[in-house]
Amino acid sequence: MLHRLSLRVLTLVILWMGLGVLKLDDMNENGFFLQGAVFSFLILAGALFEIFFCYQGDPYLLPVVQTILAIGLVFLARINPALAADQFIWANLGVIIYYAVFFILRDYRKLGEYQYLWGMLALLMLLLTLIFGVTINGATSWFRFAGVGFQPEELVKVALLLFLASYLSDNKELLRFGTIQVGKISLPDAKTMGPFVFIGVFVLGLLGAQKSLGTALVFFLLMVFILYVATERLLYLMVSVPLVMVTGAAGYFLFDHVRVRVATWINPWVDASGGAYQISQSIFAISGGRLLGTGLGNGIGAYQIPNADTDFIFSVIAEEIGFIGAMAVISLFIIIVMRCFCISIRATDRFGQILAAGIGILIGVEALIILAGVTKMLPLTGLPLPWMSYGGSSMVGHFLLLGILAGISHSSAFSVSQIPIGKQADAL
Amino acid sequence: MNNGIRKIALIMVFSFVFLSLGLVYWQVVKADEMLDNPANRRAVYLEERITRGGIFDRNGVVLAKTEQTADGKVRTYPLGEMFEPLLGYATVKYGSAGLEATEAETLLGMKNPSILRRIQNTFELQRTGNDLILTLDSRLQETAYQSLQGKTGAVVAIDPQNGDVLALVSQPSYNAGTIEQDWDKIITKEDSPLVNHAFSMFPPGSIMKVVTSAAIFQAGLDTTELYDCEGSTVINGQTIQEQNDKAHGWVNYDLALAYSCNTYFAQYGIKAGVNHFLEAVSNFGFGRDIPFDLYVPVSSITRDDPLPEDLSLNLFAESTFGQGQVMVSPFHMALITAGVANDGKIMVPHLINSVLDSKQNSIYRRTPEVWLTPLSKEEAEKITSGMVLAVNKGTASPGAISGAQIAAKTGSAEPGGDGDTHAWYIAFAPAENPKIAVAVLVEHGGTGGGAAAPIAKAVIEKALELKEGEN
Repeated sequence: MLHRLSLRVLTLVILWMGLGVLKLDDMNENGFFLQGAVFSFLILAGALFEIFFCYQGDPYLLPVVQTILAIGLVFLARINPALAADQFIWANLGVIIYYAVFFILRDYRKLGEYQYLWGMLALLMLLLTLIFGVTINGATSWFRFAGVGFQPEELVKVALLLFLASYLSDNKELLRFGTIQVGKISLPDAKTMGPFVFIGVFVLGLLGAQKSLGTALVFFLLMVFILYVATERLLYLMVSVPLVMVTGAAGYFLFDHVRVRVATWINPWVDASGGAYQISQSIFAISGGRLLGTGLGNGIGAYQIPNADTDFIFSVIAEEIGFIGAMAVISLFIIIVMRCFCISIRATDRFGQILAAGIGILIGVEALIILAGVTKMLPLTGLPLPWMSYGGSSMVGHFLLLGILAGISHSSAFSVSQIPIGKQADAL
Repeated sequence: MNNGIRKIALIMVFSFVFLSLGLVYWQVVKADEMLDNPANRRAVYLEERITRGGIFDRNGVVLAKTEQTADGKVRTYPLGEMFEPLLGYATVKYGSAGLEATEAETLLGMKNPSILRRIQNTFELQRTGNDLILTLDSRLQETAYQSLQGKTGAVVAIDPQNGDVLALVSQPSYNAGTIEQDWDKIITKEDSPLVNHAFSMFPPGSIMKVVTSAAIFQAGLDTTELYDCEGSTVINGQTIQEQNDKAHGWVNYDLALAYSCNTYFAQYGIKAGVNHFLEAVSNFGFGRDIPFDLYVPVSSITRDDPLPEDLSLNLFAESTFGQGQVMVSPFHMALITAGVANDGKIMVPHLINSVLDSKQNSIYRRTPEVWLTPLSKEEAEKITSGMVLAVNKGTASPGAISGAQIAAKTGSAEPGGDGDTHAWYIAFAPAENPKIAVAVLVEHGGTGGGAAAPIAKAVIEKALELKEGEN
């Protein structure tokens, strides 16, 4: 119990130290003391809620996410105080959603029963976005009602994951061993493979049509990796390589901005004040941080990099708290992804196992693609960094997944196999 | 299924590790290179937050400082044009130059900060840079500046015993405090005020004979031997002339230096041989980078090669008395003079005496060290006696002062093309225990004795007076 609280206290120390330094530096007027207090209250209340309801799931997952959240809030308060005020609300809402999902969704297995509903929902949301959506930063991925923008693709992630997990848990054997023999390779028949290919092609096609290419890449990798996890067939990974190359080449020749992204990725210094402005400013900020950073509030990147509050928040972090701080953030993401896989391995049912692994894959792939983008290891694709970048849709989507994950983790703790021999009868 | 999960987990961890190697690459390996990228305005923005340190002379007189006014920070130069273009300027609009540019990192406190400093920087948004204490003496600088005013050229005064630069004046100059307003006027003005003439290249003319002397000694030639100067001589079909075709009659080495006899140095230089000559010029620093706080171009013997392997006979003959293609800066000439004065040892020149951080702790202090040893003590004394004779009986007599013996050498260098000769005067005093070495150049000033000697005289008199005051 003490252990559970001490992690939360550590998170809050980070939050309040950050806000305190910003206040001392006169970086923001109100200091976010009220918002910070509400957030702190929710975190501590959550911990008490867990104790009260005997939460037996993974004890590290939520505290680590909350630490990432706290670092993100401090940096948003530093980069753009107006957005930070919104983000505090989204963060509070996210924490509430997490507990609500965990509490209401007593049995996550029920989610697996609506396999095709989830698939269709994902397609429908994407289709509606394409038709009625608003174009921001080149991508038609926004819905706008009552003055609030929303990115449905964040919810599509949840729906798609649920579809994939239930589909794969139903068809695992058929996909693994196949029913049709082609030479030495046995392949699954069209009826088995059909729904997966159908949903996959349509989801990726719609995202391509929206020009949300970063998200399309995330979904593609998610589907390939989750298929591999479920079937353990290297064949599926192998097939994806030529697929990536063909679609990548097609994207390169079809879209102007893809060509620009690739050109600025190969050599940003030629056009550092034009097309390559973002990536070169990001690199300048990161390298300006060196080992220990310029100090919170002392960096230049927060003013110089476009979208410093969303896609490039990591560059600002790397500048102001240096290599040490950036490595800490990366480590936190590694912990989250690894905890997801741990939960997956411990899960008692196939659906939960695939779902937990899928959530881990999704978070890992998202973080890797955007971080590799801002450090110029991959061409830049605009994606939010989970729990850190400004954005309500991403926050809500990821806390929904985290809530489901907590449910999986919690129920596996009560499974028969986890109970010491001799006490199983009592438990049952 | 667990096997598949483990493999994917491994791929993920490996990717994150690879990502952190990317961070190492940018934040450690490439950090300096990225800061220098022209598209990176980071240094300029950081500078705006830091109060640039002050620049002071050796006695604490303010030469440059940053003042906080209602409109922001203003860099002021209380002594105006006197220290320009040596100090240079630092503006947002036109960048920076001179000492303000080369020492920017020190003045801004960004050069090799200690761990403690870095931690302090993390918590202090408004910072103050380091102060520079120069070796210059503003009183001597004022004398040199006043004496040279109205002319084009440079004056360099060095303490021969430790290499401290005591005065460094270049004319024409400008006022760095108003450079943004005057910019167009300054850049179109004749004789380039932005260029430091002390670091520009000129033919040395007869002052080169000091260097040639070393070759004559080191070849073991008899310097007491008498030579009959007839006013001109022909070497390899090329006529070598004395100034105004004056025949000096029978001269030994001392008299030849005192009278600045071109034919003597051409004949004896050739007798010493090109290898001894090239070795001597190399020992005096030709063809070498001069270790200094500001960039000084490399002095050269020929146009194509600062320090050639060999010289044609005609070019060699002209080089012995500083014509041909020999080029040297007034600053380097002052170092050569200081080397003769300091028993043949040229000290590493210093402009920065010490650096103080914002809490006035000393974080750097210059230490005297020998740069080159072109002459033995005996050889240096021989040249000194020739230079003393030049003052007492020869061409350098306009520089003589009462109360101390000075040693000097004049030069009137053909500039190449039309116009009067460049007037040179190198000197040190007192000859028996030198405290100051001076090189003066007046561009197109005529003869060294006429145009340059009075300036050197004023500077030496002032320097000795100041030394007297110190003791």
